Amino acid sequence: MKEIIAFIRMNKTGVTKKALVEVGVAGFTASKVLGRGKLVDSPETIAERKAKLMNMAVDDISEPVETEKLVTGFLDGSRLFPRRMFTILAQDDEVPKIVEAIMQANRTDNRVGDGKILVLPLLDAVRVRTGEFGETAL
Amino acid sequence: MLLVRAVVRPEKKDDVLLELSKAGFHAATVVDVVGRGKQKGIKIGGVVYDEIPKSLIMVAVRDEDKKDVIDVILRAAKTGEKGAYGDGKIFVGPVEEAYTISSGATGL
Repeated sequence: MKEIIAFIRMNKTGVTKKALVEVGVAGFTASKVLGRGKLVDSPETIAERKAKLMNMAVDDISEPVETEKLVTGFLDGSRLFPRRMFTILAQDDEVPKIVEAIMQANRTDNRVGDGKILVLPLLDAVRVRTGEFGETAL
Repeated sequence: MLLVRAVVRPEKKDDVLLELSKAGFHAATVVDVVGRGKQKGIKIGGVVYDEIPKSLIMVAVRDEDKKDVIDVILRAAKTGEKGAYGDGKIFVGPVEEAYTISSGATGL
């Protein structure tokens, strides 16, 4: 048994849920978390997104310098930003297809911030209703 | 790879994240949690509080970085010289695989 932890964009929750159902595992636990990833070392990677976000900013209510600091902080990963954390319990042989489904559903063209997936070993599980242990409890 | 989960005081969260970043462990996930420890919560007057707010910080690291990351968290999350009840706990568990969604690359 394995525990799959996926950190994904908030607005990808819906497609991820759909992708999971399609791959045959409907059960999951999700929660709202804050996180940050690797620091972006080359500014070119985020230049395009930054320009786009800066255009969306309303200049008359905030200082451009402040806005730029905020936008850059969000994009290069130096500050915490909200993400959805999915926890999925799965049988060993289901893991590759679940990982693949999550990756397909969450990939964007933004180059950074699509998230990470971790696969952890799970020793045992219990179904509360019946008290059964192990693989059948999932 | 290992997943280090540290339960720390919420007010120490920023310190821990800053120190982790300085030590080269920039990537982290933070969840606000409530819980109690061995001391069964705190009793103030006649009221027992056993849902004490804490921050859960999760960091995935390579096996060889285990000691470094734990040292950093221990140093940053401790209050005072000797530490105090309620400073938190650190749990370390195995991670078998890690994937980056954007590239599909394996590893951290």
